[in-house]
Amino acid sequence: MRIHANMKIADLVHFNFEVLAVIQRLQIPFAFKDKTILTICQENNIDAEFFLQLVQWFNERENFPQEQLIKGQAQWLVNYLHHTHQCYLNYQIPRIEKEIEDLEQLSDLPDKSAQLMLNFFREYIAEFTAHIEDEENTTFPYVLALSNTIAGKMDKETFYIRYKNYSIDRYLDHHSDLEEKVFDLQNILLKHLPPPSNSCQFTNLLLEINRLGNDLKDHTLLEENVLIPKVRQMEKELISRT
Amino acid sequence: MIKILVVEQSYLLRKGLTHILRQFPEVGEIEILGSHLGIEETIDHFEPSLLIINSSIATLSNEIALNKKLPDNCRVLHIINTILPVGAPENQLSIYDSKVSLIEKISIVIKSISENKNIEESEELTPREKLILKHVALGQTNKEIAAALFISTHTVISHRKNITRKLDIKSVSGLTVYAILNGIINMEDIS
Repeated sequence: MRIHANMKIADLVHFNFEVLAVIQRLQIPFAFKDKTILTICQENNIDAEFFLQLVQWFNERENFPQEQLIKGQAQWLVNYLHHTHQCYLNYQIPRIEKEIEDLEQLSDLPDKSAQLMLNFFREYIAEFTAHIEDEENTTFPYVLALSNTIAGKMDKETFYIRYKNYSIDRYLDHHSDLEEKVFDLQNILLKHLPPPSNSCQFTNLLLEINRLGNDLKDHTLLEENVLIPKVRQMEKELISRT
Repeated sequence: MIKILVVEQSYLLRKGLTHILRQFPEVGEIEILGSHLGIEETIDHFEPSLLIINSSIATLSNEIALNKKLPDNCRVLHIINTILPVGAPENQLSIYDSKVSLIEKISIVIKSISENKNIEESEELTPREKLILKHVALGQTNKEIAAALFISTHTVISHRKNITRKLDIKSVSGLTVYAILNGIINMEDIS
């Protein structure tokens, strides 16, 4: 489907409910009534172009709008990634943790296996949180400062003093693979654990883990193939101006 | 399933190519990039067994570095934007190729990848692999395992690759969970 700025946002959601993730992460309030994408974006100070690129991608997975997103503004990208983080930390991950806790009540699981999964997942949560905090406290402020400096809103000397030894490649050095352990957990549950009798609860857990894993893949794609190349370009641009 | 990374700037070509690739039942995930940006990172975490890349993009990216990044046994097909001369290598796809010749070239490479995979793929862990897994789960490094079992680090690494492929578990903590579940080590061993 060809998505355009003058179509009703409710129609867009009906066509593909997955785009709700984009709407939530850009903090667009519900109660759409008959408003168009353009109106909603204007009302909420959202870059309509950025919104369209994301929802278009959600509708056509095989066409990642890499170049267009790189050309867009850094602040929008950072804003989107930030709200995605919040969603993981405050909602998706605690939910999965709770569901793994509930596994313990399934009497037919082998001894301690629920506890084992829980330990595994809690270790993952600790790593995940550390990773996100590093991005939120170091990487994102750096990207925003860089973008402000290029736009002339921040003094170049101040920027270079503050970030004397930092560049986006430093961030890449410890950019770990966030989805790896999620898919490990999925495969352990799917392939290696004896089947429990309450398969409804178990299936739901698997679905949620799979969803988180796929979402993290998108997140990695945005970070590695848009954010990092974009910041590298900005770093070069600032140096060339010196 | 064969994982394929397509790197091609033309939307039409990407669409057409994925359409053709999807007709092969051996083809699993297809990841697509429209430029050389971020290609090394994608190769790193996606680990494709086939890379199909437009030659004009390959020239833009650092080709030597790229080849080093590719997983062992990863095959490469090049998309060429001109007509190919007679006798051009089989790993070149021209945008002017006929359907028959495209399908033939792609079939050959897919067939050879899946034959390789079938040789590797017996799913049960061998006793040797179980032993290696035990040491991994106990938190030992490749070096320590090599020293304990009187084998080279290289051998340990290749065993570990096979374990990960057979079990579909990549992380050490995931492997530890598997080892406990299957009685290879005890929960008390790791505290």
